[in-house]
Amino acid sequence: MLRRLTKILIVLALAAWPHADAAQSPAGSSDPLVAEQSSTSEPLVIVVNRSNPVDDLSLVELRRVFLGNRSHWANGRRITLVMRDPGEPERKTILRDVCGMNEDQLKTHFLHGLFTGEILVSPKILSTPTGVRKFIFNVPGAIGYLRVSDLDDSVKVVRIDELLPDDKGYKLHVQNQAGN
Amino acid sequence: MTRQLNSAFHRRSSYPLPFLDRLLSTASRHSAILLLFFVCSGVAVIGVFVIRDLQAASAEAQKMYIGSVHGLQRIGELQYDAQETRRATLYALTTSDSNLQVEYADQSRNADQRVKDGIAEYGSQAMQPAETALAKRLSSDWEKYLDVRDEVLASILEGSTKEAVSLDLSGGVPAFERVREDLDEVKRLYGEDASRSQANIVASSRRSSFKLFGILSFTFLLSSAAVWAIQRSRMLSRIQLAKLQMEFVASVSHELRTPLAVVSSAADNIADGLIEGKDALRNYGSMLQHQSRSMGHLVDEILLFASTEAGTNRYVLQPLQVSAIIDSIMATTDGLIRKAGFALDRRIEPGLPLVMGDLSGITQCLQNMISNAVKYGGQDRRITLRAFGARSDHGVHREVRISVGDHGIGIDSSELSRIFDPFYRSLRVTSAQIHGSGLGLSLAKRIAESMGGKLSVISELSVGSTFTLHLQIAKGGDMQKATDASRPSSSSRP
Repeated sequence: MLRRLTKILIVLALAAWPHADAAQSPAGSSDPLVAEQSSTSEPLVIVVNRSNPVDDLSLVELRRVFLGNRSHWANGRRITLVMRDPGEPERKTILRDVCGMNEDQLKTHFLHGLFTGEILVSPKILSTPTGVRKFIFNVPGAIGYLRVSDLDDSVKVVRIDELLPDDKGYKLHVQNQAGN
Repeated sequence: MTRQLNSAFHRRSSYPLPFLDRLLSTASRHSAILLLFFVCSGVAVIGVFVIRDLQAASAEAQKMYIGSVHGLQRIGELQYDAQETRRATLYALTTSDSNLQVEYADQSRNADQRVKDGIAEYGSQAMQPAETALAKRLSSDWEKYLDVRDEVLASILEGSTKEAVSLDLSGGVPAFERVREDLDEVKRLYGEDASRSQANIVASSRRSSFKLFGILSFTFLLSSAAVWAIQRSRMLSRIQLAKLQMEFVASVSHELRTPLAVVSSAADNIADGLIEGKDALRNYGSMLQHQSRSMGHLVDEILLFASTEAGTNRYVLQPLQVSAIIDSIMATTDGLIRKAGFALDRRIEPGLPLVMGDLSGITQCLQNMISNAVKYGGQDRRITLRAFGARSDHGVHREVRISVGDHGIGIDSSELSRIFDPFYRSLRVTSAQIHGSGLGLSLAKRIAESMGGKLSVISELSVGSTFTLHLQIAKGGDMQKATDASRPSSSSRP
């Protein structure tokens, strides 16, 4: 009886999760790799609040953070995950290069985690890079991502596998769509 | 009569403000307008001071008004922005939309920056130690509230609404209450400061009123004094004129009575047959002739003065040789000088140019001067007649001067300015029973001036006096005109 109820809730939650991929991709494909249409790219940086002592994260650690598997920073502050709206190129990059999931898989992952209590808070969704920046500025435990061109001094850039965006071998790059 | 006049003169001399009277008399002689000019100038200067004072008071009031408006505006803005900081924070609680929450957080931060700026401005403009201390306290309390506010905002954005509310109630409300109290204190201090400024303005206004009243009073007193002085100077002039006229009448009566008495007595003697013999009769005739001429001369002098006073006397100016003038004067005064037992010392500079004048006028003028010298020449009985060229007082033109000097009683320096006044006779002269009408010098001065010249005097008491007639030198054009007109050299008199 409990299992059935759980399944019903999961189905309802999945129905409510925004299907941005469908809107973004004319072909209706859910694979982010398929949606790439441009050969140009721009580094995508992981940013945290300036008071956050963390300077460096491994890609594995970053994956744990973005999947909600890690809930607190080393200083005890709760981690607040900041994401862009579904369908945004930056979000696609994170899903592809960090989480290794598509939107549906991420949705399922979080619904499951929240339901089971493994994940405490769902990601905060912000519609603009400015919003992301201001959110992270206001919340000491926040972590998010921005294009290099959207960066300013109000947030702190975190090295990934000890690499900064300008360094060779930096892995996170957002693909610019044609016409962008 | 003379005794009465003398006693009147002595009474006048004992007047407590003789200097003031002399000053007023001088002012009156020149013009009462001069006095009025000084009064007006004084009033104008005072007026400028009053206007400047009023302008300063007005500027002070204006400054206080602007300061009050600005201060109230600053306090109002500070209070509003403090409330706006808190209000925007609380608005973030009302939504779960992260975008909206970020927007409210942004509004709250913008408002708190304005509050910080306002507190800094208040601190920088603080004049009193209490204000400086309050600015520091307000800044500190505001920072404490902002610490709580930041935590509240973070909790709201993280989605922990309960935690945010709890934080706000436990820390935010008391911290903001302290800020509110500080702002009330700012308002109170500002009110006290405004009251002090207002009191200063009131005091300044009162001072201005006192000054204005004082200045107006001073102006009124000054004006009254000026009017009094003018009236008094006119009155003194009239009194002086009346006195002089009385003296003149007394003097003329005396001058006329003496020869008249001689004539009357001689006529009585002749009528009574007391005079016998041709020689005695000739003597009587000669005496009657002299006395009648003396009376005629006096009457002529009075008539001449009357004509110069009325302005009906006109002289025809023409180039004259100085030697001709000297000859003319010698012819008319030789008898007088010799009869009085005086010796005349003539010193005529050779080669003197022609002078412009009327021969009869100049003769009359010099005759009066010599007559004066004979009358007041004292025991030395020596008269010096000099004619010489000199630069005019301004040093621009040359002129010819004819001076008549004596070694007699001289004139007191205090009387030098009055000896040319008509009818004026010195107390010493009247006391010494020296007869005269008081018209001689006045007439001489008027004649000299009507010919474009002037009459000056240098005198020292008990040493002597020298009267000098200044005559203009004839120019080329004048001599040509004189030649063209071919008029006789004698003067004409209306």
